[in-house]
Amino acid sequence: MSTIRVTGLHVRHRRTVALDTVDLALGRGVHGLLGPNGAGKTSLIRVLSTVARPSAGRVEILGEDVGDPRRCGPVRARLGYLPQEFGYYPGFTVSEFVAYVAWLKELPAADTPAAVARAVARVGLADRADAKVRTLSGGMIRRVGIAQAIVNDPDVLLLDEPTAGLDPEQRVEFRALLRELGATATVIVSTHLVEDVAAACTEVTLLDAGRVAYRGTPASLSALGERTGPDGMGDNPIERGYSAALRAHRTGAEALR
Amino acid sequence: MNGVLLYARSRALPVTLAALAGTTAFAVWAADRMDTYLDPHRKLPLVALAPLLAAAVIGGSLHTASDELDRTAVRPWWPRRQAQLLGLTALAAALLPLAVLGDTPGFGPPAMIRNLLGCTGITAAAAAVLGARLSWLPAFGYVTAVYLASGGVRGRAVTVWAWPMQPGHEAGAWAAAGGAFLLGTVLYVVRGARPEGPRG
Repeated sequence: MSTIRVTGLHVRHRRTVALDTVDLALGRGVHGLLGPNGAGKTSLIRVLSTVARPSAGRVEILGEDVGDPRRCGPVRARLGYLPQEFGYYPGFTVSEFVAYVAWLKELPAADTPAAVARAVARVGLADRADAKVRTLSGGMIRRVGIAQAIVNDPDVLLLDEPTAGLDPEQRVEFRALLRELGATATVIVSTHLVEDVAAACTEVTLLDAGRVAYRGTPASLSALGERTGPDGMGDNPIERGYSAALRAHRTGAEALR
Repeated sequence: MNGVLLYARSRALPVTLAALAGTTAFAVWAADRMDTYLDPHRKLPLVALAPLLAAAVIGGSLHTASDELDRTAVRPWWPRRQAQLLGLTALAAALLPLAVLGDTPGFGPPAMIRNLLGCTGITAAAAAVLGARLSWLPAFGYVTAVYLASGGVRGRAVTVWAWPMQPGHEAGAWAAAGGAFLLGTVLYVVRGARPEGPRG
């Protein structure tokens, strides 16, 4: 069953078309959103997070049409969002920042301390919960961002470049967290790192120039790469599959699968 | 971890309150140093500049570091924005007139409050249009320009465009400052401060 349904989505930034007639239906699981810079990944995530408004099209999340501002509130309470640059208040500790977002999400005050402690622990920052955010390293700040996104146990979780700045060990731990979250929620991860997609995602959507270039699973994308053989662009099958899917989309080829 | 207190701290309200208190103290101190004025009863510089400083302080508090996340808040923002702007303006309006109490014909508490409203309105509008960090600039530019240009100018129009330099009883000056406050408040409350950074 689809928790997110996008129909004829069109997004413009002044004269630039960021998304052009995108149709998508996404259900529970971890969905990797791949594509080159400027493909429209962030634009799609921002529309789904209800932060940006589409120029045209319909976006339905958890059964609500979020084009109607009056219906955004209940959806936002069940939504987690990590923007590329989330910004933080320098005077806040890790716990305070996550609690601030819990307040934005209207979590009951009585439940907030436990929810904050759990979210902070899930990203491995329990021992830094009382540290000022400004004193943390870039990777730790990224984990604070992930903690605030999951503090309300969201049904829809939108992560824009969540692994940027994480070291290899943290990325492996993060993939495990993604798989755990994807068991109960619809998780969309925008990334440039195809190995993250291969390791943690159940489905892949590839965007190029504002359009859906490919949809499938990491296995089907790898299989596409296998078919191109070692001469394709990329160091492993899924990278070659990514390049082949992009090339095929750009040359207008059909029936990749 | 009370949510409202976290909100207040996120908008630097403790620092803003301290800065408003500091502005008042500074204005009171300056008002008592009569020998700094050519005319010992001349309060115009105080009435023009203290509200400007207070408005700049209020404008700084309209900045949000996490605009992208704030926009995913469940509740609409306008009541919080309105409470913050009106609350801080009311506080400044209660404090600043302390500097011009007494025998100050024309440039006493009414002129101070009127100028505070006008400057805060311009600053709030600038926060919505330019962003909170630069919100102090248009009011600073306007009041400075009027301060330098309005001396010796006569006529009905000057009571409107040079509202920061007018005595407290000038209806045209009140209309201009009140209009600026209304416009700025509506703009800020409806739109919020313009996002700054990569998406600004």
